[in-house]
Amino acid sequence: MPSLRELQTRVLDALLAASPENAIPLIAGFSGPAASRLGVYRNNVQSNFEEALRSSFPVIRRLVGADYFRQTAREFQRLHPSRSGDLLHAGAGFPDYLAGLHHDDFTYLTDVARLEWLVQEALLSAEHAPLDLQKLARIAPAEYDALCFELHPTLRLFESRYPALRIWEANVDSDVEPETIHLHSGGDRLAVARCRLQLQFHPLSAGEHCFLNSLSRGESFATAVALGEDSDPRFDASAALQRFVAAEAVVDFRIRDLQDHNPQDNGTS
Amino acid sequence: MPVSAGIGLRAQHHLHVLSASPQTAWFEAHSENYFADGGSHVECLSRIRARYPLSLHGVGLSLGSTDPLNPQHLANLRRAVARFEPALVSEHLSWSSAGGRFANDLLPLPYTEEALRHVSSRIAQVQDALGRQILLENVSSYLQFQSSTLPEWEFVAGVAAESGCGILLDLNNIYVAAHNHGFACHDYLQGIPQHLVQEFHLGGFSRIDLDGQELLIDTHGTPVCEAVWDLYAAALRRFGDVPTLIEWDTDIPAFEVLEAEAGKADALKAAGHAVAA
Repeated sequence: MPSLRELQTRVLDALLAASPENAIPLIAGFSGPAASRLGVYRNNVQSNFEEALRSSFPVIRRLVGADYFRQTAREFQRLHPSRSGDLLHAGAGFPDYLAGLHHDDFTYLTDVARLEWLVQEALLSAEHAPLDLQKLARIAPAEYDALCFELHPTLRLFESRYPALRIWEANVDSDVEPETIHLHSGGDRLAVARCRLQLQFHPLSAGEHCFLNSLSRGESFATAVALGEDSDPRFDASAALQRFVAAEAVVDFRIRDLQDHNPQDNGTS
Repeated sequence: MPVSAGIGLRAQHHLHVLSASPQTAWFEAHSENYFADGGSHVECLSRIRARYPLSLHGVGLSLGSTDPLNPQHLANLRRAVARFEPALVSEHLSWSSAGGRFANDLLPLPYTEEALRHVSSRIAQVQDALGRQILLENVSSYLQFQSSTLPEWEFVAGVAAESGCGILLDLNNIYVAAHNHGFACHDYLQGIPQHLVQEFHLGGFSRIDLDGQELLIDTHGTPVCEAVWDLYAAALRRFGDVPTLIEWDTDIPAFEVLEAEAGKADALKAAGHAVAA
């Protein structure tokens, strides 16, 4: 008699990798073939996984069609089975998987998939209260260089050389006939966030993108400003800060301890 | 938890429940659907919980697996329990993972002494981590293992006795498994000690033809069938009046359809089928 561990390994191999031969002898006898009974579970396992991907990537499914999406979801599951009892994160590797297929038409699709995943992350991340401006006003000018701003937990940065957001917006409502979008009609540089249950897309300049990217790595305000200015001569740090505080993209801050060394920080202060 | 029938809460009905405030006695939500750090589902359930008693029902803990319990999953469950303060917390008597890979389905265990000891110790771990008793639900199944030595009901009762958990008896699952494996539902009910059952589930199934044989599949996508209502009446007579839940997971209908099913369960209780306990 196989141990419980051995039985479970053999059954899971049968369900995930379609290799039922080692599991069939474990199944009790009945009038039909054991493979059919395993097949019932295999269908459930595949359709549960596909359903999770469908709900994370509705736009990709619409763009590639239901049949191709199902086939791709199955192959992705075979190579990257779920590692959690909760399917919420099952699609995390799906954009990279699409990129790895090296299909000519998939360069833009991969970017749309990355955007869809960031949208899901933004929708499921924690809420946060707006920045306390009075608390900020109490900071002494001498401490400005050590200021580290915190971004809203839902905020995600996105860049693409394709108009991924327009493609997403045109396809997210499956009842609306999508407009034709030229793939080379301009790229995207965005912050995706959710504020009080409302999904938001903030278009960013190159400088703003660098600035937020630096803050998201936990670097100081001074470093983020320097990086923003380096990448974009028109970057206006105080305008950017005002904009992101008003948009609730910047929600908190701390004064960095001088001992609090961050190896990623270029340390312009 | 009220003994009147509750309804399985699905995201499609969040806004209806919040805006129409139906007279539903209580709701049961799938724990994993509310594991996120934030967002609209978590927000809706918090608001619904403020108005209704709640049960959290897990589908992904993989209690019967020989892999270690997933610490992140357990931490998420603990957080959900702290957040929503449910009156009942339940999980399935099943497994879904091996070697870190998950099938994300409710797979049956072999009913052996080894599996009984294993799953009992896992339930004890979960109860320790949550600081409370959980209920364990019997699952539907489409196959049995050659190595099983115990009838399912003896296994369920044995696990409850050894781990100290309560039992959530899914009458539809008993009916489906009895049909698929050829045992009598009555034997199942008689094999479960009366004092252990703290909740009933009712739902619908589908029929498929598999190699010329009719197999029942637990789809939760149809009304409760007459034979399962009869089984429910028998369960009420044996186990008394315990909280009953209407579950519907695929082809989810208008909320009124679920209310009508809950009303039918309450009418059966009122007809005097609940006499024991």
